[in-house]
Amino acid sequence: MTDDSRRDGGASDVELVERCRSGDEAALDALVRRHHASAYRVALSITRRDDVAQDVVQDAFIKAFRALNGFRGDAAFRTWMMTITANEARATLRKHGRWRESAIDDVAPMAVDDPDPAEQAVARRESERARAMLETLPEKQRLSVSLRVDEGLSFREIGEMIGSSEGAARVNYFHGIRRLRELMQ
Amino acid sequence: MSHTDCGMIREYLPGAATDRLSSGELDAVQGHLLSCEDCAAELELIQMLRAAPPAVPTELADHVATAVRTSRRPARRPWWGISAAAVAALALGINVSTEPREQIDAAIPGFVSETAEGELWLSDDGLLAGEPSLEGLSDEALMELLEELEAEGAA
Repeated sequence: MTDDSRRDGGASDVELVERCRSGDEAALDALVRRHHASAYRVALSITRRDDVAQDVVQDAFIKAFRALNGFRGDAAFRTWMMTITANEARATLRKHGRWRESAIDDVAPMAVDDPDPAEQAVARRESERARAMLETLPEKQRLSVSLRVDEGLSFREIGEMIGSSEGAARVNYFHGIRRLRELMQ
Repeated sequence: MSHTDCGMIREYLPGAATDRLSSGELDAVQGHLLSCEDCAAELELIQMLRAAPPAVPTELADHVATAVRTSRRPARRPWWGISAAAVAALALGINVSTEPREQIDAAIPGFVSETAEGELWLSDDGLLAGEPSLEGLSDEALMELLEELEAEGAA
């Protein structure tokens, strides 16, 4: 896996964090734009509700930037941000209780990169079905698969986020993948 | 193909789906997939998942950035919040200025003069809008005032 802190061609996360500490609002904007999507996917994976996930992301970013002086830089900013988001999402669930589990046919709209030619309709439906099946997995399996597939995190990073060891994260991921394949058959 | 190979290759599959592998790693994966249907099916599943990521709300970044910027700014106190202390200080006659004493003295207008007791009082120039109050002035001060008036009258 590669370090993608410079994937948008701008300053590194470390540089942006330093500028942010000095009150640079352009650096703040850049960090938010670079990492809000990952944070949203983590929040959505845990809360399973779009509106709640958006609130969670906002609160998580506010807390993260308030605590920016405590960010030591020994973890990637993205992982640190996603961990704060995951904690915020779990805290929200504890506070409000879990919402109704999404039914397989009642998931959020999916973004599909492909255009809409008829010959790709089957592939698109299969992709959406895979996403819907992913939502049915237990939280740690679901998060492990999502963080690995969508965000490209290492098992060590995933373990930090789900509160387990690197080995447990690996097991959760492979159990999740195995279970998804069974569900898709 | 051994399970050991499958175990190693499966670690690489998410990276293979996202072009995050080195050329050597990618060659190893592609070579393995030619003869392993199980790993090929797993890569297909990963590609399916990546083809339909959850849609991120388009306005989310703007909302979050605005919320964070707002939260980092110091809260502005309403004017009446500040004035409560200021009014109290003025009522008690407390000098709330942070200016050095010399600067304050320099800023006192010319029509204000100082009595022998160190109290400030207004000369007639400063009392044009009203009746001068002579109550409490010492005899010496009254005499000075009379002399000033006579001098101005003579001029």
